[in-house]
Parts: sequence; C-alpha cells; structure tokens
Amino acid sequence: MNKFLSLTKIQVIDFFSKYTQQLNVKNKYLGILVMFLPILLIFPATQMVLEIYNSFLAMGFPELTVTYMYIANTILMVVVSIPFIISVFFYSKDLRLIATLPVKEDTIVFSKLASVYIYLLAISSFFLGTAVVIYGTIGELNLSSLIVGIIALIISPLIPMIIATIIILPFMSVIGSGKRRNLMVVVGNMLLLGAIIVLQMLSSKIQLQPEELNNILLQEDGLLMVVGRRFPPSIWLTKMIQGSIVNGVLFIGLNVVLVLILKTFAKTVYSKALMKFNQEGDSIRGGKIYYKSRNKGLQMIKRHINIIISNPVFLMNTVLTIFMPILMFIIILFTGEIQGELLKSTVLFPYHVYIFSAIITTPAIIGSLSATVITREGKTFWETKVLPISARDNIKYRIYTTLIIKLVASLILGIMTIFIIPVNLQTVLVATVFCITSTLFFSSIDIVINIERPLLNWSNPTAAVKNNLNILLALLLRLVVGVIGYGLYKLIDGWEASVVMLVFSGLFIILYFISIYIVYGMYEEKFIDIAP
Amino acid sequence: MLILKNVSKIYGNNKKAVDQLTLQIEKGEIIGFIGPNGAGKTTTIRMITGIIALTEGIIEINGKNITKEPVEAKKNFTFVPDHPTIFDAIKGIDYLNFIGDMHEVTIQHRKDRIEKYTKAFQIYDSLTQTINSYSHGMKQKLLISGALLPDPNLFILDEPMVGLDPHSAKILKDIMREHCEKGGTVFFSSHVLEVVENLCDRVAIIHRGKLIACDTPKNIKKNSSATLEEIFLEMTKDE
Repeated sequence: MNKFLSLTKIQVIDFFSKYTQQLNVKNKYLGILVMFLPILLIFPATQMVLEIYNSFLAMGFPELTVTYMYIANTILMVVVSIPFIISVFFYSKDLRLIATLPVKEDTIVFSKLASVYIYLLAISSFFLGTAVVIYGTIGELNLSSLIVGIIALIISPLIPMIIATIIILPFMSVIGSGKRRNLMVVVGNMLLLGAIIVLQMLSSKIQLQPEELNNILLQEDGLLMVVGRRFPPSIWLTKMIQGSIVNGVLFIGLNVVLVLILKTFAKTVYSKALMKFNQEGDSIRGGKIYYKSRNKGLQMIKRHINIIISNPVFLMNTVLTIFMPILMFIIILFTGEIQGELLKSTVLFPYHVYIFSAIITTPAIIGSLSATVITREGKTFWETKVLPISARDNIKYRIYTTLIIKLVASLILGIMTIFIIPVNLQTVLVATVFCITSTLFFSSIDIVINIERPLLNWSNPTAAVKNNLNILLALLLRLVVGVIGYGLYKLIDGWEASVVMLVFSGLFIILYFISIYIVYGMYEEKFIDIAP
Repeated sequence: MLILKNVSKIYGNNKKAVDQLTLQIEKGEIIGFIGPNGAGKTTTIRMITGIIALTEGIIEINGKNITKEPVEAKKNFTFVPDHPTIFDAIKGIDYLNFIGDMHEVTIQHRKDRIEKYTKAFQIYDSLTQTINSYSHGMKQKLLISGALLPDPNLFILDEPMVGLDPHSAKILKDIMREHCEKGGTVFFSSHVLEVVENLCDRVAIIHRGKLIACDTPKNIKKNSSATLEEIFLEMTKDE
C-alpha cells in the first residue's frame, strides 16, 4: 500500500478505535446502535437549521441557509480544530515512531490531519450537511443541488483545517519554547482563539443604513453579498450549489490551492515547528527539597487537578468547555451585537433568575469532567490502585475534583455576570442553590460513564477527553434531563421563576442521592475491576 | 507474609492467564518469580497488588485478604511495576511526598529514608526537577525509592533490573537482601536468571499460568552442575 495511505489508515483506525473502544462487542446490534449515537444530535441541529431556513425563505432567499450555516460552520471548525491539531501534532505519543519512518514530511503532516478531517467532517455534517439536505429537499427536490452540496460538504473541512494548521504550527514553535511551555501553550492559544472570535464578530457586524439595506434587498444577490462579503468562499459555495460552474471552480480551486500551500510548507512546518517543539523540554527545575505531610484526600485531589493543568490539551478543553459559551456572550456584548441596556431592561427582570442560573450552571451542563476522570490518568491509573486507599475514596476524590473545578468556574462566572446583569440577592441565592444541586448530580453520575468505559491506553490527549463516546454519552444524559425538565416546566407553567428553580433544585437533590447510590452501590465493584 | 491459594485469572476472551496457583512466602524470604513471556507473572503480581481482580482463589498479605480488606492489605506492601509509567508532570520530591502521605510516613522517617535511597541511587540532586525530564533509569530509581519509603513488610517488584545501570542494579540487590535480613519480605519477577539464582532463597517458576516449581535454587537444580538457566529452559520448553 502507498506510504501515505498506510500511515493515514493507521491514524484513522486509531481515531475510530478510541471512539469505539470497549463497546459491547458481544452484542453486535447494541454495538452498532451505540456507534451511531451521535446521530441523535442531528435532531436539535435539524430544528435549528429549519428555523433559519424558514426565516430566509420568508425573505425570499432560502439559499442563504447554506451560506449562513457554512460561515458559522467554518468558524466553529477553526475554533475546535486548534486544540485537536495541537493534540495530534504536539502531544501525540506516536510521533517518535513516525519521525523515524522513511516517509516525507508532507506525508506525516497530511496523515496526521486525517483524523482532524474526520472530526471536522462530523461537525460539518450536523450543520452544513443538514442545511444542504434541507435546502435541496424541502419544497421541490433539487437533485443537482443536493449532490453538489454533498461534494461541498466533503470539501468543507479543508479550508478551516488548513488555515488553522498554517496558523497554529508556527505559532506553537514560538510559544512552545523555553520553560513552562505548557502554560505558554495554553495562554497563547486561548489568546489566539479569543482573537479569532473577536475578529470574526467585528468583521461580520452589518453596519448598514436602512436605505442601503433596502437597495441591497432589491438586488438579486444583494443579501448574499452582504452575508458573505467577508468570506467570499461562502458566496462561491452558495452559487455552486445553485448551479454556477464558475463559482464551483473558484470554491474547489481555493481548496486545492490551500492543500498545495500546506504541501509546499509541510517540510518547513515539520522541521521548524514539530521537531523543534519536541526537542524542547518542559522540565521545571529549582525549589527546595521539602518534607511536608498532607491529608490523603487533598493529595488525591491535587493529583487529579495537576493531571488537567499539566496537559495543555486537557486544560484548554476544560477551560473552553466551561468558559467558552460565556466568553462568546461577553465578546458579543463587547462587539455590540447585543446591547448591554437590553440586559438591564425591566422587561427581562422576571427572567433574570433563569438567565443567571443558566450562566452559572454552564460548567455543570457543558463540562463533563467526571466522564473522563479515569481516562485522563491513562496508563498511570495503576498508581492509585496499589495505594492503601479504598475504592470508594478513590472514586470520591475524583468526584470532589470535578466539583471543585466546576464550582470555582461557576463562582467566577457568577461574579462576572453580576457586572453585566443587575440581579438581586434572592436571584443569586436561588440560582446558587440550583447550580450547586445540578453540579452535584452531574459530577457524580458522569463518573459512571467513565467506570463503564475507562479508556486508559490513548495515543493523544484529545482521544482521552474529546474523541470518545464518554463525552457524547454525558451530553446525551444532559439532553434527556433537559427534555424531561422542559416537560416539567410546561406542567408548572405560570409559577414564579424562583419557585420553579427551587422545585428543579429539589429534583436535582433527589437525583443526586440516586446517583450516589448508583456510583457507590452499583459501580464500586466495577471500578475495582478496571484493569490498567 | 504472602499466601496465594488456588488463584486463577480468566480474562474476557476466556484466556486462563493464571491457573490454580498456590504459593506461600514466609517472612524474611526473598523469592524470585520466573517464567517465559506470557506465562502469567505480571498477571499474578497485578492480582497480588490489587491492580486487577482475581477470578477465583484467595490472596492474603500479612493475614489480610486483598479482595475483602484491600486497604489493610495494601498497607503491608509497596510495588514497583515493570515499566516506570507514572504521572510525571510533578517534581521527584512531590512524588515521594505523595507516596509518604498515602502510606502515612512520618516527616522524620520520610526525610531519613528519602535521603538514604535517593542518594544511594544518585537521584537526590534531581528531586527538584519534574519527573518528565528524568531518563528511564532515573524514573525507575525514583519508583524504587518511593516503594522503599514506607519500609514495607512486603516489597513487590516486577522486572526491577530493567533500565538500571550495573551500579544501581547492585545497590538494589543489596537493598533487597538488607530488607530481608531486617525481617522484610521481597517478591520479584525477573528474566535475569543469574540474579535470581544468586539472590533468592527460593525460586517460583510459572509456565502457562501454572506453578511448575517452587524451591531453593539448589533443590531446583537437583544438585546437578547445570545452571538455573539450563534447568529453566528444560522445564519450560514446549513439547
């Protein structure tokens, strides 16, 4: 087999094996079912795209659904691909082996990008894919649009992936040298992500006078030009799906050019960034030899926090999943997309408790740290198993670690939000109770997922915290809780917001006690059986 | 000190890695555990240390059942694995203090023993560096120092000589012997039969999951002039 294909095949097999590892292979159908679990996410995606489609249809420009979703999709892919690229290139355990193989540098770079491509294609399928299918099938079936749209979908991850690669690889060689490089990597990349989001927000702001907007709407492609003016490929893609060959050539041509650019610079990127980064050490020297006694529990919690902090991919993933929605919110405020006055309006006052609760509970809802707390330890999991601590304590300190991180994040978010939304003491108290009870429940129950699926042998850190089914199962759990919660909310519609939140808090307390029974009563033995 | 009664381990694919293994190790003994690759040595050690569960049988360490009283049993031993895979983003001294806290080692005792062993293995000056900057051998020495820190009743090592330079290997052998002379027990696996022959009071040989011999090197050799290596190869050769 061709060297590139062979190397890529290994990377792709590794990608999928981390995802499917420890499925119940004896039960073939259950295995297949679980494998396709992420497809469930297509339902909320379809709902969202349908609403956007109907809005653009009402304006007479249904094709803008594809444009809009493509732009949003591209930004999302750039953002999520950055930690992934860092993980597979700079923290992958197979690099030392691959570096010794008699293959060209561009072969290594592109084979490594194969798993990033698959991941991005999956994301793209949910958003752009859904938009293409809805645009091509609703109303009258437009087969050619559908086929061209699917081709565009397959190509769509290339632009964000290559742009992110071209930015991130040289960037890492700069920030990744010297002492405390892991810290530099995290801080540097958070700033880079922030800069990308701010740039996107600022560039996409539509600052048009009403008269100008009317004139544009009267033109055939006027609105398309406005939506896609800062990102021409979105215009080419839309027109390509509508049947324009010239725009199709432009769109596909741009992708080909980017691939060629990356191929040209692959050798430089490899030797100047990748090899340089791997030559540098991250050793911290200095300090005194000390002899200090600490509580066992504190030592265990410190260990689990250290595991996150010491790995830039773990840390970035934790920070991003917990803070990113709020960062986006703040950036939107900063760029003027939402006026601060709106949030201070008395009209919104009855909803403050919902808004404040949602914001401070984001870490519990989005972050599923307990679902990967064993996996993050990887091959070093054996260490705590031979220590004289009980399995129950071993599980307990892992849950405490998640609780501490999430509650600290909630506290930070709460303090930040108080400056944006004027909330009274009652709102703060009610939201705090809701936040604590929901955090207790999710932090406890998530660990069951990891005890069921303890992936200890991973090749790169993304496989430990992102590219595995544990995260999706945790999200599915939240989806189920959310749907049931929404149903209950409809039942008690009309009750005062604070009372509603306290009722939900009470339900979370009951769920927490049930989760405690499940974790310690049913899963302690299973934890003991986990074989590193 | 260490009792294994009819211990078996069957993995998920129905592979019987250890089959009805029975072994008793007395206090003050130093036992070498040998066998070909895949014979079940590491699986046995992993069951003794509580890393994996037994399928059947009983393991007792100083009278404490590893399955029923894991915490009490684990207070009686420390373990050095065959590969120094440890959480390495912390400093060497942080790791030793972590082990000291887990085994409730007093500050004075901790100081004395850390200095004694890390100086013997010549890693004392590197203790303020993060472990990820250590070589394979240095990590191995750190693990051994950590395992010796609580002064365990039973010292279990899986392939301890791998990665050690001759000087450090000699120190480790001296430490193992000294530990037994003070009443401690050492149980270790090795492929270096010369070390096993010269160091051990008894040798346990495992083949295809079954214990095929457990006796003094002299008795195993049946007073013949053959080396332990020759006897071992003869006993474990496939029919």
